[in-house]
Amino acid sequence: MDFLVWLEGTFIANAIRTIPWLYPMFETGHYIGLSLLVGGIMLIDLRVLGFARALPLKSMIGLLPFVWVGFAINVFTGSMLFIYGATNFGPNRAFQVKMAFLVLAGLNALAFDLAVRRSGSSWVAADRPPAFVKGVATLSLFFWVCVVTTGRWMAYL
Amino acid sequence: MGFLEWLQATWVGKLVAESLWGYPLLETIHSIGMAMMIGSLGLINLRVLGYKPELPLLDVRQLLPLAWIGFTMNALSGALLFTSDAVYFWDKYTFRIKMILIILGGINASLLGQRVFRQAAAAGPTLPPAASTKVIAFLSLVFWFGAVIAGRLIAYAP
Repeated sequence: MDFLVWLEGTFIANAIRTIPWLYPMFETGHYIGLSLLVGGIMLIDLRVLGFARALPLKSMIGLLPFVWVGFAINVFTGSMLFIYGATNFGPNRAFQVKMAFLVLAGLNALAFDLAVRRSGSSWVAADRPPAFVKGVATLSLFFWVCVVTTGRWMAYL
Repeated sequence: MGFLEWLQATWVGKLVAESLWGYPLLETIHSIGMAMMIGSLGLINLRVLGYKPELPLLDVRQLLPLAWIGFTMNALSGALLFTSDAVYFWDKYTFRIKMILIILGGINASLLGQRVFRQAAAAGPTLPPAASTKVIAFLSLVFWFGAVIAGRLIAYAP
């Protein structure tokens, strides 16, 4: 708790408190990041699961830079929002569950990345994702929906 | 003003406003629908603008169902959220700007659909889209990202 109190006293937190448009700007940035991150992830996962088959799997997996940009935006804006309200968000149950889902989604994404690299991505070129990869894609959709849901719920606990 | 007050007094409006989980659930659906729409429409528009030319132009149509599902989710969840506090929302200029941007985005999308897919079907998917079509695709990104921004700012506008 000391750490959270300290965070709320930093000049960053003070700046967000004093400059009136800063908080809404970070929140808006968080939604744009969400669109890129979850929008991109969904396209990749759904394509792996067989949606929009006419679009080459390799190109769709190539959307990952958008996902990374969205992720970076949300780590930054999310950190700013957290610093501002650290003592409020830290003990928030929805926030804690969100972070747990974020870790699960991250590990899952790592598994996907390894599956693309390790097999020399032969299944990517052949457009035949193994059952394991389809499982990872399904879990990915689930985890990210959970991240968004718990994030949204933070305001209500 | 009579209609808005009636709307938020209906059982639907009261249910959304007063139930413990109604509002956050609808907001969550609205966020997921947003990601679906921006993801699919974003990729279609970027493709028209020349990104990932290896994606066959005619085939990016296959992303449209995702956009429609997202749009339907957001039209429904948005309408229900509006119902819970109609007078409040209608008063916000950010809300009105958002609605205008959605209308512009819709008109724009149907224009783009006609042009790109008709053009690609007639001339073959390798032909790059006309400059005017690219302008439409660019505007589409402006309108939809604008709608996201205006939507988020509803809570902060006077």
